[in-house]
Amino acid sequence: MPNILNAVLAAGLLSAATSPLRAQKPPDAVDLSSFPAQSIDDVVVPVPSEIFIVLDKLGNPNWRSELRDSLGRQSGNRAQVALLLGTVIAEGFVAVEAEDSEKVKDIGRRVLTLSKAINVEKAVLERSKSITEKADVKEWLAVRKEFDGALQDVKAAMQELGDDDLAQLVSVGGWIRGTEVLTSIIRKNYTTDSAELLHQPALVNFFTKKLDNLSNKRLGEDELVERIRKLLAAIAPLIGNGEGDAIPSENVTRIHKMTRDTVAAITSKGA
Amino acid sequence: MKKALSFLFALLVAGSLHAYVDDALSFAYEAATPYVKKGFSVREDAWGGDLGVKDQQAVQAQLFKGNEYWFCLGTDVKGAVLSVNVYDSKGNLINVETTRAGRLSAVRVEPKRTGTYYAIVTVHKSPEERTGWALVYAYK
Repeated sequence: MPNILNAVLAAGLLSAATSPLRAQKPPDAVDLSSFPAQSIDDVVVPVPSEIFIVLDKLGNPNWRSELRDSLGRQSGNRAQVALLLGTVIAEGFVAVEAEDSEKVKDIGRRVLTLSKAINVEKAVLERSKSITEKADVKEWLAVRKEFDGALQDVKAAMQELGDDDLAQLVSVGGWIRGTEVLTSIIRKNYTTDSAELLHQPALVNFFTKKLDNLSNKRLGEDELVERIRKLLAAIAPLIGNGEGDAIPSENVTRIHKMTRDTVAAITSKGA
Repeated sequence: MKKALSFLFALLVAGSLHAYVDDALSFAYEAATPYVKKGFSVREDAWGGDLGVKDQQAVQAQLFKGNEYWFCLGTDVKGAVLSVNVYDSKGNLINVETTRAGRLSAVRVEPKRTGTYYAIVTVHKSPEERTGWALVYAYK
């Protein structure tokens, strides 16, 4: 028996030596409040397709009917162009879901034009070409990845130019358009499961914090930025307090109306 | 920390990125490669930085019920042992499957609820004082 015990102990020690993670099984629960604030990174903003593919699993949305006829006009104001660029990239994800090659290519070209208006054209030139090539051969997963890449490239290029504020506006614009589409689909066939996709408190807090702390004072006082601050404040209480809380259909409709009106303001400003 | 990584991405565009983040990110993408073949889309956005031994960093993630996710961690330091584990907003572990090979670690989760989750990166041991890491995620 002692030999068996020794063998078991030896095997255990060997296992611990060769597989350190096995020896350090993660705790089943942690106290998140004990993490110092500087040890918690900001949330990565999901791309619209992360949500759209859940809707595909829940039903069969008519993506084509969600596409906008017009991608909007640029006014020359950099804040508006950044927000508009975000909505256009989000539209790209809708067009991918709709598997509409022509619309995808049109959006790819528009991304390039808007990027040029804010001096980050170089960063997305290759992405734009790639979007067109991959849409032609209907490689939808690859096109989706190119839109995600275009979003990151534009933001990185803006940050390189010291325009971190504008980079945040691109993200915000995309999130608002994505939420408009999400709520449009949910309210057409409401279920508590689909409405739960709106439970995004970390994102709403993240955007609120970013817009409240824009380093460029003029940008912070921009009419559209101020409108979006109010939008976020109005959405926060409508998306559920706790995980699993039901989000009623009235809330979905209210969020839809607010995001639709905000997208209209972003896309028509200066017209 | 995330902001720092974004800035470093910007430097990458300019061609002068610190090698350690570049390498850690390459390993993180390498960790994600097998899942691309299984239909997962890997996000272009990422978290990253450096940590001392026994240090931890939590990153917030908005996850959606109905999706599957792989969180893939890479490090530039040979011989370092890192892990990533995912917890819900109440601090409960939700790992479904974990893998580790050399400088790569990954964890799969299937959130039961839509909401905020925390991926906690830990440096268990390392031959270096500071260990570079990068984390990406893939979804399906």
